[in-house]
Amino acid sequence: MIFREVEDRDLIAKARRGSVDAYSILVSRWEKRVFNYLLRLVGDREDALDLSQDVFLKAYQNLKKLEDPDRFASWLFRIAHNEAYSLLRKNRPDSSEILSEPSVHDATSRMYPMELSLAVERALSLLSGDQREAVLLKIFQGFKFEEMAEILECPVSTVKSRLYTALDLLKTTLAPVEARGAQ
Amino acid sequence: MSCTSIDLKAYALGELDDRGTREAAAHVHTCNECRDELERLRLTHMALLSLRDEEPPRRIAFVSDRIFEPKWWQRMWQSAPAMGLASAALLSCAILVHAYTRPAPVVHTAPVADAAAIERRVEARLNERLSADLARAVADVRRADEQKMTQLLAATQRDNQLQRRADLAMLRSDMEMVGKMNTRLYTAVANIEERP
Repeated sequence: MIFREVEDRDLIAKARRGSVDAYSILVSRWEKRVFNYLLRLVGDREDALDLSQDVFLKAYQNLKKLEDPDRFASWLFRIAHNEAYSLLRKNRPDSSEILSEPSVHDATSRMYPMELSLAVERALSLLSGDQREAVLLKIFQGFKFEEMAEILECPVSTVKSRLYTALDLLKTTLAPVEARGAQ
Repeated sequence: MSCTSIDLKAYALGELDDRGTREAAAHVHTCNECRDELERLRLTHMALLSLRDEEPPRRIAFVSDRIFEPKWWQRMWQSAPAMGLASAALLSCAILVHAYTRPAPVVHTAPVADAAAIERRVEARLNERLSADLARAVADVRRADEQKMTQLLAATQRDNQLQRRADLAMLRSDMEMVGKMNTRLYTAVANIEERP
């Protein structure tokens, strides 16, 4: 992880000097994570892919504004978060709570149509948008509370509240599946 | 430590500092309820992680976008081979321009080696040197002869002078003797004449 951060910092420095090749490497490193984060937020592959392109485009255009290259990940996911919310706001302008009714993935479109994965998808879809995003950032992307607060632009206490509530809900929803898995 | 003072979820998510982690671990070790809750949280966490990441259906088309294509000078500036080629081309142009604008160089033809002339020159040089040596030797001999002649002349003059002085002294002595004899003679003659 340390090596990866060092290399990312070098790539960022080169990209800031105009090296498209360095930025392409950076994109190839992060595109899968960003794509999956957006996919689980918006629930549509094409939208997630378009958003991913927009995210990396904006990141490149604003790369010189990144004050601390070591915080590239949280900065990138903050752009992704804003892009996702812009899309959803556009699609549902009257919605007061974005992602309050997330779409559920079509089970047949998943690469791993296992029972547990389906159950997890279903459980995630039952969360509110804020709760699900907190779970995505913490469990799937491994960000710290402070980084999540930066990405979501809210206090750490709010992040913890959303995440803890989501975990309690998931724990309850997934308990039968876990029990069956344990048998 | 009570169950409410432990942030069990933060502990399960690895968000506690060292001290908090130690305290939570110690509490969980002694509290069955919290241990069960921690187990449920871990199972939930593992269940969530069973959801695998998908590969993007296609690569992010970043590089192919026209607006990301660097300007020609940016590409050249970033490319060492291109910079090298450009430098070489610039250097070639400079050499060509210099070659065309520079006045034609004066060709100095190398003198043709002439063995006979060289031999003549060497011989002349040797002759000059020999003549000089010879003249110097002759002059030395002449100088020595002259010195010897001068010494001989001086010795001869000195001998002649001594001889002349000796002759003069002898002549003077003879003249004195003759004078004395004349005096005696005059005296004798006078005596004779006075005699009756």
